[in-house]
Amino acid sequence: MFKNEEMEVNLGPQHPSTHGVLRVKLRLDGETIKHCTPVIGYLHRGVEKICENKTFFQGQVWTDRMDYCSAVANNLGWAEANEKLFGITVPRRAQYIRTMLNEFNRLASHLIWLATHALDIGAMTVFLYTFREREDILDINEAFCGSRLTTTALRIGGLREDLPPGFAKLVNKFLAKFPACLEEYENLLSENRIWKKRTVGVAKLNAEDAIALGVTGPVLRAAGVPYDIRKAFPYAAYAEMDFEVPTRTEADTYARYLVRLAEMRQSTRIIQQCMDGLPEGPVMAKIPKILRAEVNEVYHATEAPKGEIGYYLVGEKGSTNPYRFHVRAPGFINLQSLPKMVEGSLLADIVAAIGTLDIVLGEIDR
Amino acid sequence: MSDAPIPETTPETPSGPFVYDYTTAPNRQVVLPKTVPLPGYRTYVAEQKALVEAEEAKWQKQLADFDTAKAKAEAEGKDAPKAPVKAVAKKNDTDMVFPAPTEAKDPTLLHLVNGLGDKVEEAFEQAGELTCQVAKEHILEALRLCREDAQLKFEMLADETATHYPAAQGFAFSVVYHLTSIARKKRLRLRILVPEGFEPESATQVYPSANWMEREIWDMLGIRFANHPNMIRILCPEDWEGHALRKEYPVVGWGQRDIDFREDRGGMLNRIAMEKAGQLGINLKRPKAE
Repeated sequence: MFKNEEMEVNLGPQHPSTHGVLRVKLRLDGETIKHCTPVIGYLHRGVEKICENKTFFQGQVWTDRMDYCSAVANNLGWAEANEKLFGITVPRRAQYIRTMLNEFNRLASHLIWLATHALDIGAMTVFLYTFREREDILDINEAFCGSRLTTTALRIGGLREDLPPGFAKLVNKFLAKFPACLEEYENLLSENRIWKKRTVGVAKLNAEDAIALGVTGPVLRAAGVPYDIRKAFPYAAYAEMDFEVPTRTEADTYARYLVRLAEMRQSTRIIQQCMDGLPEGPVMAKIPKILRAEVNEVYHATEAPKGEIGYYLVGEKGSTNPYRFHVRAPGFINLQSLPKMVEGSLLADIVAAIGTLDIVLGEIDR
Repeated sequence: MSDAPIPETTPETPSGPFVYDYTTAPNRQVVLPKTVPLPGYRTYVAEQKALVEAEEAKWQKQLADFDTAKAKAEAEGKDAPKAPVKAVAKKNDTDMVFPAPTEAKDPTLLHLVNGLGDKVEEAFEQAGELTCQVAKEHILEALRLCREDAQLKFEMLADETATHYPAAQGFAFSVVYHLTSIARKKRLRLRILVPEGFEPESATQVYPSANWMEREIWDMLGIRFANHPNMIRILCPEDWEGHALRKEYPVVGWGQRDIDFREDRGGMLNRIAMEKAGQLGINLKRPKAE
């Protein structure tokens, strides 16, 4: 019992705190993690291979099913990569609506993150509160495109349809209500002693390591690097939006929590600006019914809720399929930093670390 | 310990709607690509030149044909034939303009090209993206320069992936590195062309983030990287056969249980129709030939 021996422990692949089917091989010395190896691939469906055998338009439904918590963000990156490949100019109204839907999606994704992260660490109540607001966002999704989770909301060249009647009312109702809800979450967590004990100083990842490991998104911004693709390489209508990139310097789990909450505030600002400045005009560019590619390759990165999602496409002359379809999934790259975060810390902290990375195995394994 | 020979096992052919052998299954045949869609400025210019020349030759031939026909008609005292009209390019009425590759003009790209000298094979811009193709043996040098040069300063390797070109001569894969400079707000693509069996130097020696990306490339395309700390598969199990993103790999993989839905659905509908007809007392069965 009291032998001084290292022990191997498997966390997952069927552990509720691993957000799906992540398996982490741990070598423990007592309760201290000596070595940590994430094992992935349990949800590998070959999305890249499938999309290479589908037409340019058909790939979209697969992007929905990669990170199923942020389908619009995946759709947006995919649509813009295709538009870059073909050189399509998207109408301004479509850009605004895309931006708005993307921000709603960011809110929904962050709400799920907050719910499950708090649930993992032991704060049950927040889960019920955030899912209440998420339901409203899903209703907005449903009003726009008919589906709630896997939206397939966008099209190459713009949108399938304009906003439905009564959409503005839905959005305004949500915007009027949401800031108070954010305060509610903060009241529950920000000064909560147990929450702070479980998050402050836990799973640290400094800026240098984060950049070396390719980590992007809120995890990088919580380390003090103000890298947000919406600002650095503006896409959709973000160049015309007025918003801030929240950063913290503590680089721990608590800082990431604060960064994501601040991001939600900024998202509501962007949605408000999109609704106020929504230009008139068509929502779909004039493109042929069948897209035939020329020899070209593009890498287009956008800021998904979890970090940089990049699409690498190669076009073959005269072909209706992409010759190569590759996704740079933010979760895949961010998960590489898990050993760096948890090695040397306590076993219970790995649950906080996995939660704070905000991973979805559907996009990691693809 | 007996010396009896191990009996040879013969795989039984499964019955039913399941297809176990992809080689014989319908719609499972792999069609290998015939072209090499490797983007580049030089190839694009050559292609365009060839197109223009072909167009010009066609026009000259039309003119010559017209001249002979005219002379023939004059000699025979008939009406002169119609003069040929030069074909006008179709007007683009879509919102689509193909982003053609252009020569390298961006100062960042030119600085990199100068820094690498004759190790650069090609540098061009397309769709607002900078691409630099370097010799495959010197990729590590190029990555190091990109990271450490004060005027380049690409701190992050955002993505690394590869493409399979089975129809190409002299190489089989292109490996692309997408670098990001957070401080300078720039992106750059480095590209190497590697033949089958060649092991490029691992980018983990410069960018640690390449670790999982290169494992994914090994898993999906079968390119091994030299001096990689942990060159094992990442998404597929270690005993998996083949590399799924190669062009010769079928979409439905080995041992995949697969139903031919079209046949099955047809059979199902047929059975339902027979049943319904039977309830109504109608005989749909084809009378047997006597």
